[in-house]
Amino acid sequence: MAVQQYSQGIAGVPAGRLRIRRYVLQRYLVAYLFILPVLLLYLVFVLRPTLQTFWLAFYEWNGISIDREWVGLANFHRLFGDPIFWQALQHSLIWTAVVVTFNLVVGLIAAALLAGSIRGRLLFQLGYFLPVVQASIVTAMIWLWIYAPTGVLNTGLDTFGLEFLARGWLGDFTAVLPALAIASSWMTFGLSVVILLAGLQGIDPTLYDAARVDGAGQGRMFLDITIPSLRNTITIVILLALVDAFKVFDIIWATTEGGPIRATEVLSTYLFKEGFQKNQYGYGSAIAVALSLIILVGSVLNLTIRERGDD
Amino acid sequence: MVNDGHSLSFAFGTDGMSRRVLLQRGAALGLGASALSGVLGSRAVSAQDEPVELTIWLNGEPGTVNAVTEILDEYMQEHPNVTITTTFVGSSLFNPTLVPALNAGEGPDVWMGGSGPGQPAAIIEAGHALDLTPYFCELGWGEIIPEGIVNYTSSDGKLWAVGDAVETTVMFYNKDIFAENGLEVPATWSELMTACDTLAQAGFAIPIGLGGSDKYPISWWQSMLWGRYAGPEGIDNVMFGDGRWDEEPFVQATAKLKELNDAGCFGPNPLAEIQNDIEARFWRSEIPMVHVGPWIIEPGIQALGEEISKFSVFQVPPPVDGTPIYPTEDIGTGWYINAKYEHPDVAADLLNFMFFRDESRQKLLESGSSVPVGELNLEGLELPTLVEEIFALSNQDRDNGTIHAFLDTVTPARMTDVTYDGLQALLAGQMSPEDFTAAVQASWEEAKAANEQLQPGGVTCG
Repeated sequence: MAVQQYSQGIAGVPAGRLRIRRYVLQRYLVAYLFILPVLLLYLVFVLRPTLQTFWLAFYEWNGISIDREWVGLANFHRLFGDPIFWQALQHSLIWTAVVVTFNLVVGLIAAALLAGSIRGRLLFQLGYFLPVVQASIVTAMIWLWIYAPTGVLNTGLDTFGLEFLARGWLGDFTAVLPALAIASSWMTFGLSVVILLAGLQGIDPTLYDAARVDGAGQGRMFLDITIPSLRNTITIVILLALVDAFKVFDIIWATTEGGPIRATEVLSTYLFKEGFQKNQYGYGSAIAVALSLIILVGSVLNLTIRERGDD
Repeated sequence: MVNDGHSLSFAFGTDGMSRRVLLQRGAALGLGASALSGVLGSRAVSAQDEPVELTIWLNGEPGTVNAVTEILDEYMQEHPNVTITTTFVGSSLFNPTLVPALNAGEGPDVWMGGSGPGQPAAIIEAGHALDLTPYFCELGWGEIIPEGIVNYTSSDGKLWAVGDAVETTVMFYNKDIFAENGLEVPATWSELMTACDTLAQAGFAIPIGLGGSDKYPISWWQSMLWGRYAGPEGIDNVMFGDGRWDEEPFVQATAKLKELNDAGCFGPNPLAEIQNDIEARFWRSEIPMVHVGPWIIEPGIQALGEEISKFSVFQVPPPVDGTPIYPTEDIGTGWYINAKYEHPDVAADLLNFMFFRDESRQKLLESGSSVPVGELNLEGLELPTLVEEIFALSNQDRDNGTIHAFLDTVTPARMTDVTYDGLQALLAGQMSPEDFTAAVQASWEEAKAANEQLQPGGVTCG
């Protein structure tokens, strides 16, 4: 009876559609089983803390006591009127601009050079990628020494007669932010090189052959073939660099802790200070929410621009 | 007990009378230590029979080996059933790591932490710290810990932490560099300024080292100068009375700090300098002077050995001629026991062993890195010369009273934030002394409105 009912359909659902659903379920079951552990980890260690942070932003809490006071939108209201928040946001935007530009421009140049037939290409690739796998705190220490008043950079400038450029890099209000942004870019651009190189190697070489036949030079080929072909790859590079730049913390904290006089204060260092040092977890969470929304907007914009380009 | 603001007493000297007093006290301490272990012994007997695990969090870099870790090893040798696991956590990550751990019930059984307002007070209010008053009262800790230290580690009549050390700040200098440039130890402010100028002309880009990038070293100068101008009573008047940080003495003191900087004493760009690097360069004789505490002596000895004899110390001269010198002092850190720890008597016994046992106190002292609280028996000790000199300096002016070495540790976090940024702005010429003190006062008023300021302490026994 049940079999007969099944073959005839159940509750008005045609038997054919049931077979399709069963087929789909069976086909993707294994895939879901593979995804499930990671999904669970994501839910527990990423999504849940994220949602808790959003929720905490509506409270005033010192991070220690059992009692938390509901304050509604007060933390966000405070955020909008907080000059340090806007200053940190400005710095975050400048930082992101430097990091994304460095990753894209220098990364593309390096990838283009590596795409050609050069000796020791693997060595160069390794060299570019090594900072990516290095602990960020190690990178911070290295650049601390480089930028020290008697460090490698100033010594090198003196040696080459450019002592007028030498300065206390980490104590110079105008130079410190770009200086650290470049240090951070050095740490991440190796990944961009690898991604762009893969993209370059995926471009159909016959396009270049055809362009040469038509008399196109290197510059023309780069602009009309390479760049358009790399559009999706460039989007990924920009997206990764953008998210990484907005989240920066280690290298700034290890070198200047947001100083001097907040010249390198970015959103992540500010939320760390407010939340963990001043025990204002609610306000720190509000800053974190703002940072998350900014990253989300930036990412969506990036993808939207790419998609419009496709159209 | 009343906090009189300058009762941090580690009174010892080099004259015969003091040594006799010290010997008597040392003997009393020795007897006291026996009595302590006797009393605790009866409580800890059952604990000694069963294995006990104890985790400790210490401030510092992983892998550190120092007098404290050696004392912990000694305790384990004497108490084979106790296993102590030590975790070193870097200073800027210590508090952010400790709070979640305590909240999750995964915190250490014993930890060293600050003792001022802000997070330490919140940790105590949340019930994470064990009330140590019974041990204080029954074991006679009050005989050793000075009243001033007790006041900063207690509230509501209860003791929450054992203050481990008294720290001070003095000017370390290179005797050879001074001699080569015909300089004597400056006795007046103008002589200090002259010394700066002479050293700068001799080619030392940084006459007085200052790690301005780290911010807190500037606050050591601020704490010392503010105390010198306002005096202990003036500081207490603001901390516990109706005084204000923007009053004339504090403005003048801040102006004096600016004067040092504008004269180039701290070099061309102190905000680009890291304190660790400054101290290392001082020991390498690249920087003639540095205003810092005795904690740099141990690494100096490790790096230089006997060569450290070419360094000495002096008190920064009075910024105003004829005014007294007040030695700077503040508690080092407080040692807390987790209120949820299953073997509090064992933890208290450990603290007793570390800070009230004569041999441990002597070991800490001989290491040069720590000056234990209370009276100290110097008989037979081989102290680093620099440590002896620092003791002598403090004793010679002790009768004037003492001032805070680190105001940033006893004032609210939001005020520290404003102070650090303001001090950097001051040195950068972006803020005047008047604006700086006004900003500090404004943040102080906000903190007081939120009840974040340090409350006077004191322990009630019985």
